[in-house]
Amino acid sequence: MLKVGIVGCGKIADAHVSQIQRIKSCKICGVCDQEPLMAGQLFERAVVERCFDDVREMLRQAKPDVIHITTPPQSHFEIGKICLESGCHIYVEKPFTVNEDDARALISMATERGLKITVGHDEQFCHAARRMRELVRTGYLGDRAVHMESYYCYELDSSGYTGALLGDKNHWVRALPGRWLHNIISHGIARIAEFMKDDFPSVTAHGYVSPLLRSMGEKEIVDELRVIISEGQCTSAYFTFSSQMRPAIRQFRIYGSANGMILDQDQETLIMLRGEKYKSYLEKFVPPVLIAKQYIHNLCLNVRSFGANDFHMKSGMKYLTESFYKSIKDEAAVPIPYREIILTAKIMDDIFQQLNTPRSDGRVSPTQFAESKMRV
Amino acid sequence: MAILKGNLQSFADCLDATANVTLIYHLAAGAGEKSFPDAFMNSVVTTRNLLEATLVSGCLKRFVNVSSFAVYTNQRKLHWRQLDEESPMESHPEQRGDAYCFAKVKQDAMVLEYSRQRGVPYVIVRPGYVIGPGKTKISGRVGIDSFGVFLHLGGQNRIPFVYVDNCADAVVLAGMMPGVNGEVFNIVDDDLPTSRQFLRLYKKKVRRFHSFYIPHIISYFLCYLWESYSRWSEGQLPPVFNRKEWHSAWKKTSYSNEKIKMRLGWRPRVPMEEALDRYFKGCCQRRESA
Repeated sequence: MLKVGIVGCGKIADAHVSQIQRIKSCKICGVCDQEPLMAGQLFERAVVERCFDDVREMLRQAKPDVIHITTPPQSHFEIGKICLESGCHIYVEKPFTVNEDDARALISMATERGLKITVGHDEQFCHAARRMRELVRTGYLGDRAVHMESYYCYELDSSGYTGALLGDKNHWVRALPGRWLHNIISHGIARIAEFMKDDFPSVTAHGYVSPLLRSMGEKEIVDELRVIISEGQCTSAYFTFSSQMRPAIRQFRIYGSANGMILDQDQETLIMLRGEKYKSYLEKFVPPVLIAKQYIHNLCLNVRSFGANDFHMKSGMKYLTESFYKSIKDEAAVPIPYREIILTAKIMDDIFQQLNTPRSDGRVSPTQFAESKMRV
Repeated sequence: MAILKGNLQSFADCLDATANVTLIYHLAAGAGEKSFPDAFMNSVVTTRNLLEATLVSGCLKRFVNVSSFAVYTNQRKLHWRQLDEESPMESHPEQRGDAYCFAKVKQDAMVLEYSRQRGVPYVIVRPGYVIGPGKTKISGRVGIDSFGVFLHLGGQNRIPFVYVDNCADAVVLAGMMPGVNGEVFNIVDDDLPTSRQFLRLYKKKVRRFHSFYIPHIISYFLCYLWESYSRWSEGQLPPVFNRKEWHSAWKKTSYSNEKIKMRLGWRPRVPMEEALDRYFKGCCQRRESA
């Protein structure tokens, strides 16, 4: 039985606890937070063995096999390093680290020690995403992915996390190189990275502070982002992050040389797009029927999963965690290849570098743009 | 008057805010929406920081902690249907499925612990459901609209409203009145409307919508079913409806404000009829400006 520890007892740690506890072959041997009250509250609500306010103490006393790091991203590298040095495998919440260099260093450290790492891109393991991966594996797309579109939207409201972020100029999210985007977009970027073949794709980013945020006096938080990612003359991708567009979709579209697919994260649906067209008027009548049939099939799958008690909001996290534990026990491949983790970090670095650098063509950066609007 | 802007999660800010202060009204709280850690962090950790800071300052005469009716279990009460200051608090708030309840119970416990161990003088006030201009939400004690139709669950229950001005008067008095350290006061207005009366008035004065009444015995059974399914399914449906919550929100209960009237001399300055009127007008204005 794997012994699991959790470092960081904030909001996302609750999801980790509830999903880990659904996995039979493991137990949570300790939770840790540098704020003892936070560790205590999770200890009290979850059935765990012990709580700690020092990660080294937890490693020494509880002797976990795996550590889930659910702290703010700035601490991922340091805590990850401590855990790896004590011989623990680590599951690091997204974003993996604050930059590509740290990501590479952490992965090297794990590889040298024969330990395993994964990152919390759990949305790539929801039911529909797993179905999509299986179809890609069987060659449904054709010989390669030609183009991808990843939409990752987020509805801003003044309560909860967003309210805290907007109201607190010292919020830890603001200290990240990509600020708010840094804490959110990795799910959407990782979807693209999964199907990129080149390790050094070109990235062109355009971002700005939305009129809504500007009207609230915000000039640092970029909440609208458009990115073009391309590798050689083969594969391209668009990434869209928006807090303003409606519906606020989280969707991934992938088009191959033969067929395409649309994955909707919120509706948990996967629609297959037939590459060949029907003749003449048939194209206007047959595909709508076939797509309607697919939606009904998706509905049935969702209902069946719910009935089978396997449709939790964070079910992707359970599958990712389970696969990760299996890779540890069976010494098999990790569920998320390290190349993909590094590529995601690299693309994010490129995006934030462009957003934070004054543009050479004389156009203003998003932050400068917001500041000029504020002055007006 | 000096206004300090800070974050109660920062001990340094708490030190600044409490330096040479003899009376603290602690009204900050984190609702946390559905997140237990968020609510806990913004209610309990912040309260601990503030209490620790008062010890450094060393000149505190009273810490007025603003709590909530949410901390009461509303089961096994001394006076059967009546909820008052002697009613027991929720002993297992983590089972209520309500982050706010969990945080407020722990916040009160924190204040009591600092009083017991470090001698911090305190008064706890527990307002009912505060209404006033600016608040548009219908209390969950009346019903819920989570399922596309408004489910009226309150029926003939009295809703423990307190108008914001009346509540503020009571909180101020709790800080000023001598000889009440260590006491708890519930704040609830007189002439409370029943849930049905409130809903009728709301529909008449704010907006019309369809509501569906669920009798208490049915709502209790549905809460039981939801709770059981949530447990069996390992949280596929979150345990937001459960029997503890039913007891707290929808069980037929009367409310007493005798203690606060007697000990603090508090009287609701704005009568209920006018309070509701102002609340409804505020709701209409918000709807028009939306």
